[in-house]
Amino acid sequence: MRAAAGSIRSHDWLPGRTLLLAVLAAGLCAAPVLAVAWIALTGETGDYLRHLAGTRLTTYLATSAVVAVIAAGGAGLIGTSLGWLMARTEFFGRRTLGWVLILPLAVPAYVAAYAWLDLSHAGGPLQAMTGGLFPTIRGSWGAGLMFAFVLYPYVYLLARNAFAGQSADASNAARTLGAGPVSAFWRTSLPMARPAIAAGLALVVMESLADYGTVAHLGAPTLSIGLIRAWSGAGSLVDAARLSLVLVLVAILVFGLERAQRSRARNVNAAGRHKPAARLNLNGATGLAALAACLLPLLLGMIIPLGRLAWLALRTETANGLAAASLHSLTLAGITALIAATLGLGTAYALRSRTAIATLAARAAGLGYAVPGAVAAVGVIALLSGIQALIDPAWRAITGEVFPILLTGTGAALVFAYLSRFAAAAISPSETALARVTPSLDGAARTLGATRRRRVWQIHWPLIAAGVTSAGLLVFVEVLKELPATMILRPFNYDTLAIIAHNFAADERLGKAALPSLLIPLVALLPMIFVARYLSRQDR
Amino acid sequence: MKAMKLLVLAASLTLAACTQPATDAADSARVVNVYSARHYASDDAIFAAFTEQSGIAVNLIAAGGDQLIERVRADGERSPADVIITVDAARLHRAEQAGLFAPSDFSALTATVPANLIDPQGYWVSMAKRARVIAYSSTRVQPGEIETYEDLADPRWRGRVCVRESGNAYNQSLLASIIARSGEAAAEAWAQGIVDNMARPPQGGDTTQIQGIAAGVCDLAVVNHYYYALLANSDDPERQADAAAVSLLFPNQQTSGTHINVSGAGIAVNAPHPDEARALIEFFFSDDAQRMFAEMSNEIPVNVDANWDNPTLAAMLPFVEDDRNVSELGDHNATAQRIFDRVGWQ
Repeated sequence: MRAAAGSIRSHDWLPGRTLLLAVLAAGLCAAPVLAVAWIALTGETGDYLRHLAGTRLTTYLATSAVVAVIAAGGAGLIGTSLGWLMARTEFFGRRTLGWVLILPLAVPAYVAAYAWLDLSHAGGPLQAMTGGLFPTIRGSWGAGLMFAFVLYPYVYLLARNAFAGQSADASNAARTLGAGPVSAFWRTSLPMARPAIAAGLALVVMESLADYGTVAHLGAPTLSIGLIRAWSGAGSLVDAARLSLVLVLVAILVFGLERAQRSRARNVNAAGRHKPAARLNLNGATGLAALAACLLPLLLGMIIPLGRLAWLALRTETANGLAAASLHSLTLAGITALIAATLGLGTAYALRSRTAIATLAARAAGLGYAVPGAVAAVGVIALLSGIQALIDPAWRAITGEVFPILLTGTGAALVFAYLSRFAAAAISPSETALARVTPSLDGAARTLGATRRRRVWQIHWPLIAAGVTSAGLLVFVEVLKELPATMILRPFNYDTLAIIAHNFAADERLGKAALPSLLIPLVALLPMIFVARYLSRQDR
Repeated sequence: MKAMKLLVLAASLTLAACTQPATDAADSARVVNVYSARHYASDDAIFAAFTEQSGIAVNLIAAGGDQLIERVRADGERSPADVIITVDAARLHRAEQAGLFAPSDFSALTATVPANLIDPQGYWVSMAKRARVIAYSSTRVQPGEIETYEDLADPRWRGRVCVRESGNAYNQSLLASIIARSGEAAAEAWAQGIVDNMARPPQGGDTTQIQGIAAGVCDLAVVNHYYYALLANSDDPERQADAAAVSLLFPNQQTSGTHINVSGAGIAVNAPHPDEARALIEFFFSDDAQRMFAEMSNEIPVNVDANWDNPTLAAMLPFVEDDRNVSELGDHNATAQRIFDRVGWQ
């Protein structure tokens, strides 16, 4: 296999353009983070960080660790089990649930947190029902659970694609050698899916660490809280930027581990499409258990929290402007998802060339995920105003006037901010999907005289379509619920569903936050239906 | 490559779809561009009423105060912002320090608005007030048993106080007011006393604290007055029951007065439409606008002559306010936050 990988390098195909896309993706993602680093390194030095080190820094770090571990553990457990159930078994309701299980990702974590705390607070409905036994969802573990409930689809989606792509051979071989189905899962299926699971977990961890709204509301002081306090309380954007560099380092570490994991697994993941593993038929009680296992995360991540909001919504008047906001959300998310999927696929192809620059680009693209949205948005603003400062004199020299467009107030700035944060989410799924196109498959096609175009569309695309469209979907859903960058970079009079939902929730008017919160997953359903139908057509 | 073309097409479409011109000199219609940290329905109604009366259209961007400050600062000379609105006096102070406001003469307002609500240098004015008050259990605490913020730190309330996290601007400004009044050492001792008296680690918003009393977790809570009004005025019986379980105390009536915080506005230093900006800010003090603050957001109007109808709010008034100039709150904000860090107020 090592030799085969080498042969890709020597027959480097599609080299130039995909590399360009990879570098473009890396530039988009890393630039705002670099701007933040610039702010951090060139700003004045005060004594705030020393004050912090002497007071709360250790709490921030410890809480971050606990939140990340619980989020990853929970999301890993839910996502992997559901991925396996969906890919390798057959039971009543499986087909319908396949895509629905992604929907909790469309519930912003802070919305889930507001609803769950409202349900479980002292004297709240859950405590009343259980005679005070139900614990109040709060603190590090509460926040970790919220992230697990709404972010598990990252793991689920990637794990499902990985399990589905595994050929029957490995598992059959294990069974032939006397392994039971459980042991075959642990010793063949799971290790082969490990890179995909790791890729999903890396996203879960980074998103939990960069979150602000959930941890603030549930009282889990993570490093994000610390850096927002440095900014909003102490008034030092510079110190906030410095603290966010710590998160960037964590991101480099997390994504580095994920990649190390991937390269270790490269040798085992030889899976074409020759013989997909047969689905295990779950009937009767086991089938019901499987159905219940799938419904539980849906309940926890979506139906219960949004149901609570809907219940409150019935007793309050409706928010205005939801139709326009839905359209705005849909437009922004759609455009960003298309671009991100293209960039992600380009990067994944470039990575096949295994050149240093492609690898570097892919890693740089991961950085955008590391920084809390509010700080990343400042990076975007700083960058754009820097560019503006460069354009203005040049433009004036030619036309005699200043450049007529304010870069920070454009939809393009917004899409740029989204891409910088979420394009990384599109790379991993594409890359995992592309790993299924083995070098030997390519070689065979070439031997048979297939043109490059034919190889891409007739051999690669059917194999990677699920992965690439999943990548686009992830980004779509992320953009739907994105808040800080949207707020500060949007054009005048331009609301999205997430903004309306947040404004009411932050105002403690949960009832009015309900409808916009409900609309986010509904809007997310549209592309999901489209993608599901497209993929089932592909699935010959 | 197809993908590349698609990419360029999508990017240029976005640019075209949502570009806003930096200057609208060619545009003859009058507009005012508002950057607001407020996002209440009352404000939408006020903007609509303003447009109807003046013919000036209102363009709005609403985001967090600190974000708005960064955006206006980065956009510099070409910033389209005319009016900058924030909640919390400390944010107004920070915007002022960042050089975002043009000094203006708001002295004409002093006929109806108390002077302590106007920035001494004329950078901004307050248009609505919020009081930080003590909610207490109607059954477990006797009226008169507690009278001041200082009492909250008394050891006899050990394990009986609910309060939200210290990252919250209202808690920071409350502590800033104590620093202004009694000095840093006394303020730190007070904050330590509150931490010792907490019934549980800080969580949730102000509403959560009131619910804490209703559920018997604690007997006292520190909240903004309008969260109580929101519960009391709710159509939801569950929320009404929460409100019914507590009484409100406006603290320090015999001493320094109840701590108030404000929403305020100023004219941006590079405002492309300074006249329209001034017209809007003056409109905030009109009877119409003040009524909407009182009736829709349960905020306390700053215009003492304004007429409004909100029985829940009216029942809370009048009370003795801390009459220091609210601009002082910003001076002590950073110190307040450090005290919170030192005493471990989460």
